[in-house]
Amino acid sequence: MNKLVLTGIITTIVMLAATWMAVGGSKGGMNDDIVNLLAVAGAVVLVLATVFVVLKYVRQMQDDTATGTLADENWDGIGEYKNELPMGWAITFLLTMIWGVWYWFVGYPLNAYSQIGEYNEDVSAHNTKFEAQYKDITGDRLVEMGESVFLAECKVCHGLSADGIEGKAADLNHRISKEGVVHAIMNGASNLKSDFPGGMPAGLNYMFADGEIDKVAAYVAAGLPASDTEGAALFEKGTCTGCHGASGEGMAYAGPKLNGFDIATVASVLKDGKKANIGTMPAFERLNDKQIEAVGAYITSLSK
Amino acid sequence: MFHWLEKRPFFFAVGVFIAIAFAGLVEIVPNFYKASQPVVGTTPYSTLELAGRHVYIKNSCNACHSQLIRPFKAETDRYGHYSLSGEYAYDRPFLWGSKRTGPDLMRVGNYRTTDWHENHMKDPAGVVPGSIMPKYTWMYTNLADIDTAYAEQITIKNVFAVPYNKPIPMKDGSTSVVKLADTLDGAHASALEEAKLVTADMKDQAIKDMVEAGNIPEIVAIIAYMNSLK
Repeated sequence: MNKLVLTGIITTIVMLAATWMAVGGSKGGMNDDIVNLLAVAGAVVLVLATVFVVLKYVRQMQDDTATGTLADENWDGIGEYKNELPMGWAITFLLTMIWGVWYWFVGYPLNAYSQIGEYNEDVSAHNTKFEAQYKDITGDRLVEMGESVFLAECKVCHGLSADGIEGKAADLNHRISKEGVVHAIMNGASNLKSDFPGGMPAGLNYMFADGEIDKVAAYVAAGLPASDTEGAALFEKGTCTGCHGASGEGMAYAGPKLNGFDIATVASVLKDGKKANIGTMPAFERLNDKQIEAVGAYITSLSK
Repeated sequence: MFHWLEKRPFFFAVGVFIAIAFAGLVEIVPNFYKASQPVVGTTPYSTLELAGRHVYIKNSCNACHSQLIRPFKAETDRYGHYSLSGEYAYDRPFLWGSKRTGPDLMRVGNYRTTDWHENHMKDPAGVVPGSIMPKYTWMYTNLADIDTAYAEQITIKNVFAVPYNKPIPMKDGSTSVVKLADTLDGAHASALEEAKLVTADMKDQAIKDMVEAGNIPEIVAIIAYMNSLK
């Protein structure tokens, strides 16, 4: 038995012993577990194979002598033998070229990762799910959805309870304030261009005598109560009825509803934004139709 | 030729470098050039907006607010379309920020208005309950630095060829021109004109009086800047 084989046997024993100790010393040990047994068996096979292969090549390096014809190329005395290209290599090389062509022109372009692509998939998946889930909701569920949209998008200006935070934004618990009515009569209102393209002209105060504007504003702000006959008469005198309807119920393309909120009125404001006596509200293009409907239902429910 | 090259490691290394650098040039430069072009609708800052941007930087707004919307649904729902690199073409330096203690401000001009900013800067918690943003009351008394803003405009126009006084294509197919005055006095006048548009929507009479008297407080400049972020 020569020295090399002896070294191999000793290495094998040491490595197997190390494996045995590592497994035995670990928490739980072998634990009669088939997976642990297989792992150890795998380790034994690996150790044996490694030792066998290393032994083979070390021997070969010791015994081999060079044969064959030298190539013409020679670099400072270092030459090279002419060897046939192994068939396996040649085949692998050709296959790699074919795969490369496929990868560059088909595989990569079709499977390339794109962050924006993932985003688009994400959004369309969400939208599909959203539509399927909420298409038919009505009543209380619609109002609940409106409330959560309100809390996400609207409360920053209108406040948690939609009261406008002490006059910093419109108080949505009432359709319109007295100041708002006066402002519209004096300055006109042409915010809701999409639904009411004509707008309301400025300077309608010439319709009213002194003090009458206050009275009609109070009437409208109170929600056009039937009991206020004086206000109702002024409402008609000021030709408000011509566009807003006899009881302020609104008229398509002419003037929005004044005697309370409804989904369509809220939708008009969300579509175009609004600028009046309190300040400016931006348009909310980011909400989808169902969300707009829901917010409209929620705001309508506040003043009921 | 290759025999010659193979025997000279230095020149061989130079050859390798040129080959790889050329590949890099072909791959990187056209893409980079394309991505850094201003997006249609992106305009340079006007004098007042730039002064507002200086106020933004001076008060370290970017320490708590980012200006970068990532392409995730949760972000685009809240802040609008994700950011494109060309939208920062006129930002020097860009103000992406790295931490959101407060919300992103990349498109704040789309969903907040002058009067809201006026209330909010005075007392953030009064508008947004639970907000930890401090009050920026000094912005209502300190004056905006129009001189520096104008100097920066002149510099970037000359050095980076920022298209002031030139038609810029907008999204709807029209063109718009951001005017840059020829003189410092002219810049003050145009900034004042812009400031008056902002104060028309503000409530604070003291601010209106200041602008009427020809002084532009920082709050007006920063609101002009906020409104320009779209």
